[in-house]
Amino acid sequence: MLTFIIRRIIGMIPILFIISILSFLFVHLSPGDPVRIMYGAEISQEAYESLREKMGLNDPLYTQYGRYMYDLLVHGDFGVSYRTKSGVSDEILRRFGYTLVLTLVSMIWAIVIGIVVGIVSATRRNSLSDRVGMISTVTAISVPEFWLGIMLMQIFSVQLGWFPTSGTGTLSHLILPSITLGFGVAAIIARFTRSSLLEVLNEDFVRTARAKGQKESFIVWVHVLRNALIPVVTMTGLQFGFLLGGSVVVEQVFSWPGLGSYLIDSILSRDYPVTQALIFLFSIQFLVVNLLVDLSYGILNPQIRLK
Amino acid sequence: MKVLRWKQLSSMIFLLLIVMSVVVGCSKDNSTKSNSDQKETKETAEQDASKKGSKELVVVLEGEPTSLDPQNSTDGNSSNVQESIFEGLLTFDSEMKLVPLLAKNYSFNEDATAITFELKEGIVFHDGTPFNAEVVKANLDFVRNEENGLARASFFEFINEVVVDNEYKVTIKSKEPNSAMAAYMAHASASFKSVEEIKKKQADSNYNLDRNPVGTGPFTFGEWRDGVHVKLKASDNYWDKDNQPKLSGIVFKPVTEANTRVNMLKTGEADVVTKLPTQSVKELSDTEGIDVFTGPSLNLFYVGMSLKHEKYQDVRVRQALNYAVNKDQLISQVMDGYGVVADSAIAPGVSGYAKQEAYEYNLEKAKQLLADAGYEKGFKATLWTRNETEFIAVAENVAIQLKAAGIEVEVQALESGTLFDKLDNNQGTDLWIGRWSPSTGEADWGLRPNFGSDRVPPSYNNSGFYVNKEVDQLLQKALQSPTEEGRLENYGKLQEIVFKDAPWIFLYVPENSVAKRSNVDNVTILPSDDVRVNGAEKK
Repeated sequence: MLTFIIRRIIGMIPILFIISILSFLFVHLSPGDPVRIMYGAEISQEAYESLREKMGLNDPLYTQYGRYMYDLLVHGDFGVSYRTKSGVSDEILRRFGYTLVLTLVSMIWAIVIGIVVGIVSATRRNSLSDRVGMISTVTAISVPEFWLGIMLMQIFSVQLGWFPTSGTGTLSHLILPSITLGFGVAAIIARFTRSSLLEVLNEDFVRTARAKGQKESFIVWVHVLRNALIPVVTMTGLQFGFLLGGSVVVEQVFSWPGLGSYLIDSILSRDYPVTQALIFLFSIQFLVVNLLVDLSYGILNPQIRLK
Repeated sequence: MKVLRWKQLSSMIFLLLIVMSVVVGCSKDNSTKSNSDQKETKETAEQDASKKGSKELVVVLEGEPTSLDPQNSTDGNSSNVQESIFEGLLTFDSEMKLVPLLAKNYSFNEDATAITFELKEGIVFHDGTPFNAEVVKANLDFVRNEENGLARASFFEFINEVVVDNEYKVTIKSKEPNSAMAAYMAHASASFKSVEEIKKKQADSNYNLDRNPVGTGPFTFGEWRDGVHVKLKASDNYWDKDNQPKLSGIVFKPVTEANTRVNMLKTGEADVVTKLPTQSVKELSDTEGIDVFTGPSLNLFYVGMSLKHEKYQDVRVRQALNYAVNKDQLISQVMDGYGVVADSAIAPGVSGYAKQEAYEYNLEKAKQLLADAGYEKGFKATLWTRNETEFIAVAENVAIQLKAAGIEVEVQALESGTLFDKLDNNQGTDLWIGRWSPSTGEADWGLRPNFGSDRVPPSYNNSGFYVNKEVDQLLQKALQSPTEEGRLENYGKLQEIVFKDAPWIFLYVPENSVAKRSNVDNVTILPSDDVRVNGAEKK
């Protein structure tokens, strides 16, 4: 197991190297000039040139890349933000906390609800509850996050006054954004669980278990679910990775200071150090989540051995 | 079963870990909050003892400020926060008239090449250092030095020298006659920071002036948490005894989503909200407990035309486009009626504005002018716009209207940075939606950046490459007029020429809209988009 993890981590190094180059090029070759955006239309040509020089933007791309990698590998940080002039790493760390909390809460209830709805639908295939479950999930997947967020805010904050509209600080601040964020994920998990369970329910070993007279609920919870959860876990891992990248829409609607809004702000202001750092970080997150997903296969089903 | 038990156990541990991290995450939030709450409660209690007001005002802005250094920011969100911390020699009143603030009075010399300010005495910065003529000189010298890389360096380009006459008297000498100097010195970027801060920056180039604002204003800096808030506290020793702050502090929150800003006001989480979407203005006006202000802004929306294109070089084509757009319809459909038709190249609130005869909607005349210019079958054009709701709506409306005149317009929505880049590099520029607001409130800053031949790209705003020697001469003459009459006369002539020449399709002047809770008094909205809450009171 340990060898597997170490090998996987070593395998990530070339991928990260490629990502660092691609993210750097993506940021630097996209149109838009940080100096022009930050300082407006009326900055004089001399001031413009001196600022670009000072920010190192006139250096060849390979020099700028070298500086970026030097900061990252030697100093272990992502440099200083053009916009705020404060350390990028510190700010990312702070915002990552907000994103992590929101993601975890959203995922917990999305997993619980998604799996329960999926199991109910699969075990009572074609019943009324199955149909209701599946129609609800299609609806939930189709509902735009923005609309859902605004509606929830309208009902539960403005009309009922139960939760704050936006901001952070208390548990109640988490409720509406996490529901908005988890809604679609729960629906996807439910559909995956259902189809995966149905597939496994048709397997020979289920028939054998039934023939042995085991209880249906025991068969579902113990035998079927363990096998059926593999694709669900893969998909849940991917969703988790996406949400960790920050949900721009939910963060905008609820004014949540996470990584999604940070990325948008940094792209709009062409804050190169922040944008580069965030793209790099999101890639690492995906790699780590993928590794954890692979590890969880072995835990879910010991017949799957990690090599 | 052994496997099952282990699996159950491991699942439980996993779940427990997740729950724990959530709880820890949230409790960290809570603890941070409770700690800061405790701190704030203590501070508030201390302030209670010394001040009448003990309430905090929550102002919601449409975005994060970029800097709290008045000389290093160009956006409205930053200046809204800075206004409570910093002060300058002069300021604008609610009608954009110049009034003294840190200065007692000011006077021009005969040929408008120098302006002398007498300063008020006994004013101190939040760090206890005195305000005097040396401070004015140090600030202006610092910002003018382009090596310091401050965003407003070019704004002070007109200055040749700053002379300290005595401790409380300072003279600013310009490179050439400049009657707009006083308006420049009333601008938010001509506010002063403590010399101690400038010294810190000079000693250490990494020192962050953007985040360490020390001014003479009624509120002092508390805390800036990115994406969350900027907190200010009432100053304990504000110099102006008649205008002491009536609040314990102000919290500025950036909320980009307009619907959320409106909802925050409804629930009482916000006291003052800037930049309301026009569709919310009507709704909020009817809501109990909320007051809405609307007032004319200094902004002007236009469609720029690139005179590099042959078709726009013919003035008849440019005028035809102006006749082909029904601005009243545009205002009612896009702005819900909150705006007025542009009848000059600058808004009516700008000092130096001269009303022109607006281009009435006349499709037949437009078609005739196009035919006269040899475009009886019309032509195809591309209209660039920022990918922001209002800009896109304007562009689409203009495109539909121009189609009736035979001009096939394709709308392309671009992210603003990309749009600037394309305009700066003249990359196939054709038509684009623009907006301009002269933040000094006077005509020079309204006209020169857009129509001066020395302001063509790269970087500058005359993206249509409009060059007219007469306009250039009038810009100079107006700026060099030592008398108000001369200034107005020259700007009047200039606006007449530009309006007839029609390098833009002159669209409309939108209204500013700000809403507040009814229990908040003394909030002022300026035509320049600035919202002043320094004198605000919360009942």
